[in-house]
Amino acid sequence: MNTSEVLDQFILEARDCLDAVGQRLLDIERNPQDTTLLNDLFRTVHTLKGNCGLFEFTALERVVHAGEDLLEQVRSGQVQYSGEIADALLAAMDLSGELIDAIATHGQLGPAHDAPALAAASALRRLIPAGPGAAAASAASAALPATASALPDWVQALPGSWQAPGLCLIRYQPEPTCFFKGEDPLALARQTPGLRRLRLLTPADWGRPESFDCYDCRLGFLILSDADDAALDHHFRYVPEQCDRFRPPRPAGVDAAARPPGDETPSDPAPAALARLRRRQQQLWTEQLSLLERHPGGSSSAQAARQVLDRLLAGLEPWLPAPERTAVAAQRAALAALPLSGSAVIDWARQAADSALTATPVDGPTPATSTSSATAGRPADRDPHADDDSSTGAERQGARSLRVAQDKIDRLVDLIGEMVVAKNALPYLAQRAEQHFGQRELAREIKNQYAVINRIAEDMQHAIMQVRMMPVGTVFQRFGRLVRDLSRRLGKEVELRVEGEDTEADKNVIESLADPLIHVLRNSLDHGLETPAVRIAAGKPATGCLQVRARQEGDRVLLDIEDDGAGIDPDRVRRKAVERGLIPADRAHALSDADAVQLVFLPGFSTAEQVSDLSGRGVGLDVVRAAVERVNGSVSLRSQRGRGTQIQLSLPLSMAITHVMMIRAGGCRFGVPMDLVLETVRVAADEIHHFKQAMTTVLRGRIVPLRALHSLLALEEEPRRNAEGEHAVLVLRLGQEAIGLIVDEFEGTNDIILRPLEGVLGGLRGFAGSALMGDGSVLMVLNPKEML
Amino acid sequence: MPVRALKTVIKLEGHADAEAAETVLTWLRQHPAGVVDLSRCEGMHTALLQTLLALRPTLRGQPSEPGLAALLGPNQEIT
Repeated sequence: MNTSEVLDQFILEARDCLDAVGQRLLDIERNPQDTTLLNDLFRTVHTLKGNCGLFEFTALERVVHAGEDLLEQVRSGQVQYSGEIADALLAAMDLSGELIDAIATHGQLGPAHDAPALAAASALRRLIPAGPGAAAASAASAALPATASALPDWVQALPGSWQAPGLCLIRYQPEPTCFFKGEDPLALARQTPGLRRLRLLTPADWGRPESFDCYDCRLGFLILSDADDAALDHHFRYVPEQCDRFRPPRPAGVDAAARPPGDETPSDPAPAALARLRRRQQQLWTEQLSLLERHPGGSSSAQAARQVLDRLLAGLEPWLPAPERTAVAAQRAALAALPLSGSAVIDWARQAADSALTATPVDGPTPATSTSSATAGRPADRDPHADDDSSTGAERQGARSLRVAQDKIDRLVDLIGEMVVAKNALPYLAQRAEQHFGQRELAREIKNQYAVINRIAEDMQHAIMQVRMMPVGTVFQRFGRLVRDLSRRLGKEVELRVEGEDTEADKNVIESLADPLIHVLRNSLDHGLETPAVRIAAGKPATGCLQVRARQEGDRVLLDIEDDGAGIDPDRVRRKAVERGLIPADRAHALSDADAVQLVFLPGFSTAEQVSDLSGRGVGLDVVRAAVERVNGSVSLRSQRGRGTQIQLSLPLSMAITHVMMIRAGGCRFGVPMDLVLETVRVAADEIHHFKQAMTTVLRGRIVPLRALHSLLALEEEPRRNAEGEHAVLVLRLGQEAIGLIVDEFEGTNDIILRPLEGVLGGLRGFAGSALMGDGSVLMVLNPKEML
Repeated sequence: MPVRALKTVIKLEGHADAEAAETVLTWLRQHPAGVVDLSRCEGMHTALLQTLLALRPTLRGQPSEPGLAALLGPNQEIT
């Protein structure tokens, strides 16, 4: 098993968990009484915690653990869910996301993360009421027990100089076999943070030299440290059960923050707590087994599993009555003696599960119990030695789907695109065979074969485009959070309604949608929707409604974003546009209200009185329009003053094959997207009217401005005329208008796969992209809108 | 080499690891009156420390690291 593969998987799943948690938290806010939502949320956090524990990302685990404890309280009804709890949990999840990003970048967490993690965990725990029923921390936690009240015996026996308020007393008794685990307890003890005093604890009788076993550790350590509990937890994190800690209570009045919340306090747990501890232990046991079954190879995973199982047993041991304790001790010994192989551990753990963890019977080998999540479920008859496939394949229980890295899909798209282009060479070949080599039979056979290959290639093209289709919902996911946070920040009440999340569109389209959509929403929230007071005064309900709808129509996806806010004031827009010099005053007044509202799309426009940091200056609707049009989409806007605004985005379903018209100008070949072409026409030189720098002609009674492609592209030659002295003019549709592009010659149409320009050429204006032609040449495809 | 065994003396040099414990133990069993020379010892594994504490051989010299010297001393304590 490759550690980095497991780590990648952890990161993927952790991110999924966080997404799910975020979504659930928002759902719960809307339906606080829905227990299924709460349970679902709890399960997800629980899974996340389990996964964190396997990797010993203690900072992350601390935060998630605190979240889980809080949720447990909410779930059992001891704490009422509130906005405050939601905020704390969301903040904790955000921090967890950052920690996971750090893990993804560096492979581990550094000490810099400990403080914020602790702060987040404390914030969560503060919301848990302390009470007699407060749950004891789970057995796998790294917190060490510290009794608050009576002095333990071992402390009483020490001279008073060992008990100093503010200092922590630790009795570290390594287990006898610790050397075989590669531990050096002396080194660990001497490196204790904040070490003030260290004394060796030796047995009364070492025995005779002949029978002395130097590898049976019988040395203990008494340590006095001024470090805080968190640092000590971390230092002794691998051997918590081998340490007893005592911190003398501070005099009354001093803050009890010396001990971080989350330590176990009860020395005699109530039966309810014990039962809960057992349940938790069973869950962890099952989950650990499932994890091990998924990655059984290698001694390191077996080692890790063994350690976890041992801790589970050890964690419960102190709370058990004496006879059970000996049984558990025997179990631990048996576990330590197991060979380091996944199957051995799994087999032992299954049969031990029933006896070690009493109370409710546990389904050891069978798949997901009701409390474990999708990651834990496995079919009972699955061979634990079965090789787990590539690092990116993870079968989710139930749904037959694969998780694949995006770059693999992109590679497939490229390859299929190349195939589509390559196959187009075959007709050329057939032609040459016939005309140049006189091989008519051969030509025909080539054509037949081409037909077959053509069909297959087109099917492949179609199939891969389907793979790239993603539901629009992936973009919508962020909205819930955005709307919630923004509306709270602005003091507005907004209800977000989303419809049609399953509508699918090409991945590129979806990705280029995210930012424009978010911006449009922010606009609505910031400028469109009013505060409750204003709304009520206007006779509207206090809660504003923001509706996002996606649907498919023909080969397009339509997205409607509607709000019932204040709408756009045409007069204000007119004024601002004139003020900023975007339009002359008389033209502004000549516009109808509906047209005036469209002025918001002009670059440099913003009517916000106060440029808020959210959606004020700089990022206007013009940027939204540009982004949408870059993927061949369009934006339209309607608004009614006082009633609301509706914005519609229309996008192509897939960015597959583009039909282009090929033209020649100045010796170069270019492509123009066919959907912009109105007609091709030949215009005689004397039909062109020159007026200052501009040229126009009359077509079907309409004046059509003309531009020469040669001058637009700064080509060296002048437009050529044909034998009859006519120019070739390509009439294009730009918005509502027609414009004629003077070229040298038309060269027919073609189907190409348009690739946007990347890298150094990416910023080039005037080109929609490039395409590879059947004969290997590159065709530059124009973007007339950007050029003109 | 952290351990150098001579006829009447066994010398520890630098950092003595866990394996040194076994070497020293075997040597001490074979040389009950042997002397353990620590003057060039800079550190030792727990196993070796407990071997020295259990068998209480005659020690010569002090380890250069004062904490270790204190632990081998009468109080078995570092302050």
